[in-house]
Amino acid sequence: MYNLLMKELKLGVSPIFYILPFLTGALMLIPGWLYFLVILYFCFITIPNMFGVYKAQNDLMFTMMLPVTKNNIVKAKIGVVVILELLHIVIAVIFGMISTRLYPNLTYFFFEPTLGFWGLCFTMLAIFNIIFFSMYYKTAYKYGAATFTSVAAAIIFAGGAEWLGIQNSIVFDLFKGSGVDNSLLQISILIAGFVLFATFTIIAYNISIKQFKKVEI
Amino acid sequence: MLALDVKNLNKKYGNFQLENVSLQLEKGYIMGFIGANGAGKTTTIKSILNLIQVDSGEINILGKNAIEHEMELKQEIGFSFGGTDYYTRSKIKTLTNVIKRFYHNWDDETYYNYLKKFKLDENKKIIQLSMGMKVKYSLALALSHGAKILILDEPTSGLDPVARGELLTIFQELIEPGEISILFSTHITSDLEKCADYITFIHNGKIINSSEKEDFINSYRLLNGKESQLFEVKDQLISYNVNSFGFTGLIHTKDFDPSSNIKSTLPNLEDIMIYVSKKEEMYV
Repeated sequence: MYNLLMKELKLGVSPIFYILPFLTGALMLIPGWLYFLVILYFCFITIPNMFGVYKAQNDLMFTMMLPVTKNNIVKAKIGVVVILELLHIVIAVIFGMISTRLYPNLTYFFFEPTLGFWGLCFTMLAIFNIIFFSMYYKTAYKYGAATFTSVAAAIIFAGGAEWLGIQNSIVFDLFKGSGVDNSLLQISILIAGFVLFATFTIIAYNISIKQFKKVEI
Repeated sequence: MLALDVKNLNKKYGNFQLENVSLQLEKGYIMGFIGANGAGKTTTIKSILNLIQVDSGEINILGKNAIEHEMELKQEIGFSFGGTDYYTRSKIKTLTNVIKRFYHNWDDETYYNYLKKFKLDENKKIIQLSMGMKVKYSLALALSHGAKILILDEPTSGLDPVARGELLTIFQELIEPGEISILFSTHITSDLEKCADYITFIHNGKIINSSEKEDFINSYRLLNGKESQLFEVKDQLISYNVNSFGFTGLIHTKDFDPSSNIKSTLPNLEDIMIYVSKKEEMYV
């Protein structure tokens, strides 16, 4: 498993995708921006490019020839995506912290980068992962429809959340009102988001291996 | 001991099927796997490597069931899929460093010896290698992890005669000590006349014949006769061509009466492939 992960990190992922989180993360410095986009750029840019490279370089055939199980192939592939997702979030959080200190008196129209907001980002990626992987592993090489559907779902979630944050007084309170200063509440939302992310990703893994076992190479 | 034992493999696709494919390769020998494009060579090889799921049949490699012992056996199988490239913009060095971690018996010394022998520069990128070099690189990888069986899909197709000759010599050297067995598929039959011990001929998903090369060739005769003689053997011929000089046709040796006046010669593998394939067309 470790070897497969190393194979993904060394061969499969172009170094640009390790640097990209810093560029997208820096977008957190735009005052009052729609910060969901910072994480969505991972889905817009990294995912289709990475999976395009896998397809073009015959990664599936290459990996299948190695003495590894199909389960581990899926695990490594999901693992590398999760590593990149976490990298995007962690770096965005750091830039977010800088941003809130840079503009202490800003009135946010969209969500402010609070801990609770990062919980929402985890939820968005949870939705993305479960749709993307379960669709991708029907063929293990066609990434177009899987990317489109999962990105669309992530956008709908982000759009819906932002809309509720503006329209719904409870959500407004949680993320922009009195809830912002309630650390316990913010941490709870973050943990709930992360638990959802982990659960959905594990479900995505289980669906994917079932699909992948049926794939003929 | 059998290095490879494939029994009654069946696999149905929409418009093509493998039907009761069986072949046996003795340890320490080279088996040529011949057939026209689309005959089922690659499908059979993919089944052996468990890349596709067969509908029925059994595959044993080095005495072990290929599906139950897949991981263990993949440690002992070397492969090359001619014409398929992986991570072409990576250097040999980078690719090897990734690949070698997967094999318990990887031996760096053997690897570097083969690189030297095959004149491979590990700083070159895959895309910079000629087709022959790519096959040699696959071989170097396979041999460095102690592969006992090499499964090579079209390793010589697309190579120039010099590179092909060189590879065939390497294959023969490899099996010399008796430990390594090679199954290689090709449609270039002259390669097999030079180096194969066994021939398996697949046509339209069915094995037409699988035996020792001499027996294989010996079981057919190529007949040349006048058109007037054609009626004597017409029903026994596998297929035939008629031209202004008479006819040429292929027949099973057992169906041919040696006392007849029709001139008979030993066919080569190409003749066998062509006439057997033609048989199908004649009845379509």
